[in-house]
Amino acid sequence: MNLLKSYFLPRLSQWLITILVGVTVTFILPRLLPTDPVERTLSTLSSLQTMDPRAVESLKEALEDLYGLGGSPFEQYINYWKRLIRGDLGPSMSAFPTPVIEIIGAGLPWTVGLLISTIFISWILGIILGTLAGYLPKNLWCQIMDKIFISIYPIPYYILALILVMSFCYHFQVFPLVGGASGKPEISWSYLSSILWHSFLPATSLIVGSTAFRFIMAKALTSTIIASDYVHYAETAGLSRWRIVLFYVIRNTLLPQATDLGLSIGAIFSGTVITEVVFSYPGIGYSLYMGLLQADFNLILGITVFSIVGIATAALLVDLSYPLLDPRVRYK
Amino acid sequence: MQNRSKFIVLLGLVGINIILLTACKDQTNTTKTTSSSKSQLPVDLPRQDILVVDQIFRYSVVENFNLWMPGIPSPTKQGLIMDSLWYIDQETGQQINSLSTASPRYNKDFTQMTVKLRSGVYWSDGVEFTADDLVFTVNNLKSNPGMLWSTELELFVKEVKKVDNYTVIFELKDSNPRFHYQFTIKYNGVWMQPKHIWEDVEDPMTFKFNPPVSLGAYEYADSDPSGYWELFKRRQDWERTTPGILTGKPGPPYIMSVFYGDSGRKAMAITRHELDMVQNVDYEAFQAILKKTPTARSWYKEFPWAYPNEQSARYFGFNLGSETVLSNKDVRWALTLALDIVDLQTEYIGGVARVTAIPHPASPPQMELYHTPLEPWLKELQIEIEEGIFYHPYDDAVPKKIAAWARKQGHSIPSGAEELRLLFGTGWWKHDPEIAERLLLKNGFTRNRNGEWLTPDGELWKIKMIVAPDEVEIYRLAIGAQDQWADFGLKLEIETLQRDPYYNRNLMGEFEAISSWSNASTGDATRDKWQAIFGLHSQFYTPIGKSTATTGSTNTLRVKSKEMDRIIDELDQIHPEDDRVVELGREFMKLWVENMFSIITISFKNFTTVDQYYWTGFPTNENPFVQPLYWFGGGRFTFQNVAPAAGNTPKQ
Repeated sequence: MNLLKSYFLPRLSQWLITILVGVTVTFILPRLLPTDPVERTLSTLSSLQTMDPRAVESLKEALEDLYGLGGSPFEQYINYWKRLIRGDLGPSMSAFPTPVIEIIGAGLPWTVGLLISTIFISWILGIILGTLAGYLPKNLWCQIMDKIFISIYPIPYYILALILVMSFCYHFQVFPLVGGASGKPEISWSYLSSILWHSFLPATSLIVGSTAFRFIMAKALTSTIIASDYVHYAETAGLSRWRIVLFYVIRNTLLPQATDLGLSIGAIFSGTVITEVVFSYPGIGYSLYMGLLQADFNLILGITVFSIVGIATAALLVDLSYPLLDPRVRYK
Repeated sequence: MQNRSKFIVLLGLVGINIILLTACKDQTNTTKTTSSSKSQLPVDLPRQDILVVDQIFRYSVVENFNLWMPGIPSPTKQGLIMDSLWYIDQETGQQINSLSTASPRYNKDFTQMTVKLRSGVYWSDGVEFTADDLVFTVNNLKSNPGMLWSTELELFVKEVKKVDNYTVIFELKDSNPRFHYQFTIKYNGVWMQPKHIWEDVEDPMTFKFNPPVSLGAYEYADSDPSGYWELFKRRQDWERTTPGILTGKPGPPYIMSVFYGDSGRKAMAITRHELDMVQNVDYEAFQAILKKTPTARSWYKEFPWAYPNEQSARYFGFNLGSETVLSNKDVRWALTLALDIVDLQTEYIGGVARVTAIPHPASPPQMELYHTPLEPWLKELQIEIEEGIFYHPYDDAVPKKIAAWARKQGHSIPSGAEELRLLFGTGWWKHDPEIAERLLLKNGFTRNRNGEWLTPDGELWKIKMIVAPDEVEIYRLAIGAQDQWADFGLKLEIETLQRDPYYNRNLMGEFEAISSWSNASTGDATRDKWQAIFGLHSQFYTPIGKSTATTGSTNTLRVKSKEMDRIIDELDQIHPEDDRVVELGREFMKLWVENMFSIITISFKNFTTVDQYYWTGFPTNENPFVQPLYWFGGGRFTFQNVAPAAGNTPKQ
């Protein structure tokens, strides 16, 4: 009971407050944008069809009504929370009348699928290779790895992505140029293999970049740890190298690595706009980007709610898991 | 240790070199794949059966075909599965009678419009299209505010009556000689709804109309849940649709629109023969396409390549909604004469567009109606540079000067005056900085020691211009103006904005100067300037700080002119086919030019590109029978004429 009161409850309250504040700020911010969704729709329509100026005023009123922009901002805010509690994110204004949840539902699985897998692969690879490079600094292969990752790390992500596209979609036309899969979603080997095939380049670009970052981080952490007394003691005691690396070095670098993992997973709900654009890969990032440009209040809010909840929850879980990873951290 | 490092660096360098050398390898000798080869397109169909077209954006809404709702993406598909009464072909300017067999018949005071419908046209579910569908569509849209065309139909239509299966009468609330424009398609217009489907729909606003019952030659087959592509299949009974009836041709078995992204990715897709028709690419991407894909081309086979007949023109505009030095027409004329259009059109645009001095696109039919007849007036036009001293600013030698530049670049250019006008447009304004200087001095401007201009108040003269860099041409034109006006002693500051805030600032009037398109300089491919200028009437005038989009105004430059109101009022009362329509259009253009309300520079051009590897029959400059703008509603007739290229035998 005491543990719940002194450790869990404060963190849960913090989680709840973060979400409340985040959603409120996200509700206010798009309304401060110079772009208005009704004006934008009217502007688009007038460029696409014969619009008699005499009919515009009534169309404007009808659209405001449809988009739920009637009433004061406070009334809109209250209505938004009421809808949110029911799980209704409202209709998208730029893709009216499509529900926001439908747009998120179409993009989110791609983003989650791609990012979860690449984050885990790069996290594991980065830690293992970085720790080895830190632990065995004189080994030739570790030095080669070191040089490669240090060379890759400063390359801006979009350049790396473009090199992959140019090389494997244009000069060697190996991979498809567009989409996340071939055909309609179904549980079959051909569909699943097409997902793997389509995601190979975007995943490679993400893995290469973030493995480089995690490699450097793990190597730096390892360099500090190997100077510790307990590592020297283990070596003096004649423990095998693998045992030292796994149980003495990696375990003691895990705390910051777990924080990195947790926050990276939490942030996936914001999507990766550059990956989606460069590889024409489906996902939620492009929807958020377009929502911002088109002042689609509901879409921005919808995606951001996922993102806020994701990051806040990840931070909470990481916080709660610290004592499990490192016994030196106490539930206090 | 040192040797090891050297070895690693060497290894890295060798690796990079291998990649670069491989990447730079010219691919032009790639052997032609057989027509039955498997492509990497996302559908499991033979490549030779599919015409792949550029989807101009990624759809955020999929599997929703309620194109009567704002927000549902329509490009390309509206032409494939929808239909309406008339189309205006954007290349020829001709009206195409689609579901109607003739032009609308109005009574004398334009309060009644009679429409004769075509018989023998069928929906894809086998039901015949009749007057019932048209009457139902109008009434259904009228009774659902928020659906497209609802407010217009409610505003104008008193009653719509079926006379027989193929005759409908519209009783209008007021005189309106242009009511039929609602059903006349350029890009979009009132699409017909199948009564037998929609009459049972409870909520037409949320109804997805999926699968859509098609009235076009194609029907929906499949789409990407992520919005990257859509696939349409040719109807078995395509001969019972208006594209089939009017062209007598079947078109490709499948049409697929794919969103590839930016120009670079489109160029890659063409090189892979995975894209047959492209809406537009930038100049550099087009050059890359030409280099790598011998079967690709744009409107012209050779320079200047690009399609020059889309109905709009570019301009430099000034905010006239508040009193500034730019409110003075002499100042605007001075800025015009300080520009060198030949340099702008060649060095900044690559010589691939037609120049136009009047607020109207310079497409061949429009040049015949407006540019050519106005040329004597343009040559006679004088501006007063000092009291009692007049100056002829028009230079009809501009096309020749552009041709001379093009020849220097090694392009083969004809020498006939008429051919040059068709390639590079009509004349423009002289590049005469000396006259520009006299105009400014006349109005109290002075130069400082550095030769920079000071306003009559003694302040250093700077103009701030907003531009959207992803609108490549208007951006390049702005950069050109910046360079040329800098030579003249004027500092132009360019503020670059992403497209949406740029549009927003334009509509709100929150700019001093703008490089843009549309506004008064648009055309409609017809002789009637009404559509482009009606929104300029002072009854819709919108002050700075309020968006013109919400008031019906198209007057983003905040021009005020009683003479313009007079022209618009008269134009509004007469039928588009009235002879006076063209005269009023010319009067409007003269008024615009005399006052230099905006500096019109070049006509719209698009690198609308086709790859003839799998398909042929596309409209080109040599055979301009129909518009190449396939993403417009009239694209339905463009597609219908596309046929397999030599060696490509569709399986279906």
